Amino acid sequence: MARTPHAPSSAREHLASPVFPAQPATGGSPEGRPEADTAIAIRDLDHVYDSNGQATVALKEIGFDVPAGRFVSIVGPSGCGKSSLLMMLAGLLQPSRGEILVAGAPIPRPDPARVGVVFQDASLFPWLSAQRNVEFPLFLRGVDKKSRRERAREALALVGLEAFAESLPHELSGGMKQRVSIARGLVQDPPILLMDEPFAALDEQTRMVMGDELLRIWDRTRKTIVFVTHGLSEAIYLSDKVIVLSGRPGRILDIVSVDLPRPRNLQMMGQARFAEMRESIWNMIRS
Amino acid sequence: MSRVRALSAYLAVAAALLLLWEAAPSAGWVDPRLLPPASAVLATLWEMMMTAVFWRHVGQTLAETATAFAIAVPLGVVVGILVAESKFASATFKPLIFFVFSIPKSIFLPVFILVLGIAFWQKVAFGVFSTIFIVIMTTFAAVESVREDQLRVARSFDASARQKMLYVYIPAMTPILLEAVRLAMIFNFTGILLAEMYASRAGIGNVIGVWGQGFQLPELLAMVIFVSVLAILFNETVRYVEAKCEHWRN
Repeated sequence: MARTPHAPSSAREHLASPVFPAQPATGGSPEGRPEADTAIAIRDLDHVYDSNGQATVALKEIGFDVPAGRFVSIVGPSGCGKSSLLMMLAGLLQPSRGEILVAGAPIPRPDPARVGVVFQDASLFPWLSAQRNVEFPLFLRGVDKKSRRERAREALALVGLEAFAESLPHELSGGMKQRVSIARGLVQDPPILLMDEPFAALDEQTRMVMGDELLRIWDRTRKTIVFVTHGLSEAIYLSDKVIVLSGRPGRILDIVSVDLPRPRNLQMMGQARFAEMRESIWNMIRS
Repeated sequence: MSRVRALSAYLAVAAALLLLWEAAPSAGWVDPRLLPPASAVLATLWEMMMTAVFWRHVGQTLAETATAFAIAVPLGVVVGILVAESKFASATFKPLIFFVFSIPKSIFLPVFILVLGIAFWQKVAFGVFSTIFIVIMTTFAAVESVREDQLRVARSFDASARQKMLYVYIPAMTPILLEAVRLAMIFNFTGILLAEMYASRAGIGNVIGVWGQGFQLPELLAMVIFVSVLAILFNETVRYVEAKCEHWRN
């Protein structure tokens, strides 16, 4: 993959940098690229937790693969364990049983260089500017000041917020805060990005804009993205595959391949194929 | 209302009150033995500030106050954090601390005098006693204000316990801890002045008590003005620092 020089001439190259090398843009599905290794592999995963002395089965017999560079959503009713599953992929929670391999290795503790996490609440530190918030993971790692600043700037540029580097979180809108949170998750250039209902707290319009933003970022960086959401339309629109979980205990009902062409556009949401997929997933969840 | 207008209005009211204080005793509306005119009080204050005796008393009180403050605040914050962070300690000690806080501390003063005498360290001890509970309780609130989701973010970046303490807890707690500092000084200063007024050989509280009994109103009121200015200065300094944090604290 060619690394573009630092002084960009075009809008696309502007987003390329040593930290985020521009991937060749693909007009269609990622089939054309040589398939890299499996980013995420889950086998025989069960999870039971203790609630007031009673054992509750949260997840049952979960197993799937996510090839590198794909965008996968996980949907399911409330309480189906999809957020817990994401926490396990992030190393924030250990499953009762089963195997998780992230980028080929287990993940017993958080590893931000391997897995970036974006939560529903942007959770930016209100006492730090956007720039400093994005620098934070690098700061924890002891990266020197100059490198931190540079890499954080690039991450902010990637999400389109370079002009707001010095703004404090309370000066930013919900969508902007979430974008800073995404920049922060990406600043160490992890191959995998996990997102737990990141747009749920945003109004519908912002959500749609952010969805397209996310696809643009994904297109540039070709990370593996696992996206948990309640929104079926959102899941279908964004993803290559949609993993459908049942209500508690969460088990996989189906993995739906979204065969819509890329780049996606909002008109696709009005097409029959889209509605069919949405309805079939909805029926699965409902029953 | 614009800031300039608000400030002008505020100064106008202050000036009016000052004029009233000058006029009322001079005109005989108030007994000038009980409330000397402002000019007399301010003149007395000016003269007192020229004497070494004045500064000896002030120095004594300030030394006691500063010492008690330096003990009570760090100790209170540490105890507050330790108790708040431990489920067991929280369940056991929080109710006790709340109960003791609601007892007026002044009733313990005779006990302090019996046990510790009336010298410097007794007053410091009483100051600490008066202050530490509010510091501990405010620290509880500060710990609670650290948001769980921010800690989760730190965890997701694999922050160590030390890093979480330094880079999440302390910045998050700072606004409320500043509040604790402000409240602590109020309780502290009050406690020490009370101890001095009750039984002490020196100090601001002591001389205020002597002047009160001797009907020396100009001196007494002059000292009241002086103490008020000190208290306001301290308060406003802390509030200024707090205001710096205020802009990001919702």
